[in-house]
Amino acid sequence: MMIREKILVIEDEKSISHFISTVLNNNGYEAMQAQTGEEALSMISSHCPDLIILDLGLPDMDGLEILRNLRSWSSLPVVVVSARSHERDKVAALDLGADDYLTKPFGTDELLARVRTAIRHTRTVSGNDEIARNGTYTVGDLVIDYNKHQVRVRGENVHLTLSEFRIVALLGKYAGKVLTYDFIMKELWGPRASGDNQILRVNMANIRRKIEKNPAEPEYLFTEMGVGYRIAEGN
Amino acid sequence: MKFSRKKLRHMFSFSWRDLWVAAAIFLCATGACVLLHQLADTTDGFASPVYVLAVLLISRFTDGYLFGLIAAVLGVIGVNYVFTYPYMAFNFTIAGYPLTILTFLVVSLVTSALTTQAKEQDRLRMENEKVKMRADLLRSVSHDIRTPLTSIVGATSTVLDNPALSKEEQTALLTDVRDDAQWLIRVVENLLSITRIGNDQAKITKQPEAAEEVLGEAVQKFRKRFPAVAVEARIPEELLLIPMDAILIVQVLSNLMENAVFHGGTTTRITLTVQREDNWACFTVRDNGQGIPPQKLGLLFTGTIRDNETSPGDGKRNMGLGLSVCMAIVRAHGGTMEARNADPGAEFTFRLPLSKEEQTI
Repeated sequence: MMIREKILVIEDEKSISHFISTVLNNNGYEAMQAQTGEEALSMISSHCPDLIILDLGLPDMDGLEILRNLRSWSSLPVVVVSARSHERDKVAALDLGADDYLTKPFGTDELLARVRTAIRHTRTVSGNDEIARNGTYTVGDLVIDYNKHQVRVRGENVHLTLSEFRIVALLGKYAGKVLTYDFIMKELWGPRASGDNQILRVNMANIRRKIEKNPAEPEYLFTEMGVGYRIAEGN
Repeated sequence: MKFSRKKLRHMFSFSWRDLWVAAAIFLCATGACVLLHQLADTTDGFASPVYVLAVLLISRFTDGYLFGLIAAVLGVIGVNYVFTYPYMAFNFTIAGYPLTILTFLVVSLVTSALTTQAKEQDRLRMENEKVKMRADLLRSVSHDIRTPLTSIVGATSTVLDNPALSKEEQTALLTDVRDDAQWLIRVVENLLSITRIGNDQAKITKQPEAAEEVLGEAVQKFRKRFPAVAVEARIPEELLLIPMDAILIVQVLSNLMENAVFHGGTTTRITLTVQREDNWACFTVRDNGQGIPPQKLGLLFTGTIRDNETSPGDGKRNMGLGLSVCMAIVRAHGGTMEARNADPGAEFTFRLPLSKEEQTI
């Protein structure tokens, strides 16, 4: 018998919890359900799941509280599910260490894609083992060369400025994951970077014009509106 | 008594704007009198009418009674003390003087009363309009929701109650359920957009957003839903940052693209364009469908088109809500929106102001 990855679904709405669990169970995972924050915390310590799907609106405590609690002792991957379409909840969850987020309503394809990505990330130590092996990150025709500090598209060097390269390099290191504006700003310009992310967005617009065929239909560099940026996942 | 005290406070409300208006008018009147005094050497005949006029204007252009009454009192003093013989001295023995005082007071009170009344009526009318809009919206939404709900309940009960249904029949019914649920999601997204705009006008938070990111998001969302329709996004060469609430503008673009599919009938290709026109960012959504029936063009943004009127498109879908939401969002941004037939297909254009200052319209 194959060992299946255990996923804990923390969600108080029975119908949604039911549907998520059914999808997971039918796609090679083993789903467990928790309805309250209290129950969730005890299940996390007793069952040691491989991944957590966490709804932010629980009856007994704020989902962000669970995340904060969990992150104080574990780096277990967490995919946050939120009905609130306000982007600041997503940002708060990501900044607290969530690995990804899903906004209700979501489809099964989206759910499975996020789960796959989050689990893959925990298997590789640096988040991206291609970089560790070859010093490059490749996705489609795009190559980020960490040794030569170059980004090549279809073999051509695209001549990024230093800041531009550092942004792309950072996204590549966390490929597939959404990085919030705040996180990128702090990584690039230090912890005291101003809260205004205008400079980042201008840089990003320039990068896109150098890398993408049509910046409005990106193949590599995606924007998560109001949250941050994400680079496409490698082959 | 609470109500009347509140009303009293309202009648004598103070505002700096009103103070400046009153002071300016009063100074003008005094200036005019000084001028006349120098030209004609006497103002006995002129001062009264000039000040009455000033009091009338002040009462008309300020809120409540306060400034009108102050102006009336000052007017009486001005006429008597400054501009009537003996100058720079009070003289209450002039014949008919009580009449002058009375005139000032009556002018002030009557004008203030009329002004207050007119403003009150304006407010009531606006409120009525708001109530009516809300009722229209509710009607439109209930209508949009009822049909798919009926179909969802019907289809799921059929599957549950009839175990003998063939696999194909089940799949067909469940596909309908999924489509209807997705339709409901879109209705709810529109409603959420409305709550995001808020009840009072133009209370949105704008942030400069890159044109390509907004278009990209809308296109990506659309492709997921309608993979069969080709979409093309065109943006200007240079970076265009547009102040907006991006989530709302993406909603506008999504609504327009969905309409192009649902109501364009034969739409197979949609083109999104953003370009700069002076101080405006101009967004266009163009499709190659069958266009908008000419008799509907004028009614498009009023939310009054009902399903049975929207002829060839999808029978049960009503395009009222989506478009009125678009209109509300664009307006809240201080922008404009229009539609025309582009042969082939329809073209919707909306413009958003580029400078932040214009957002307070």
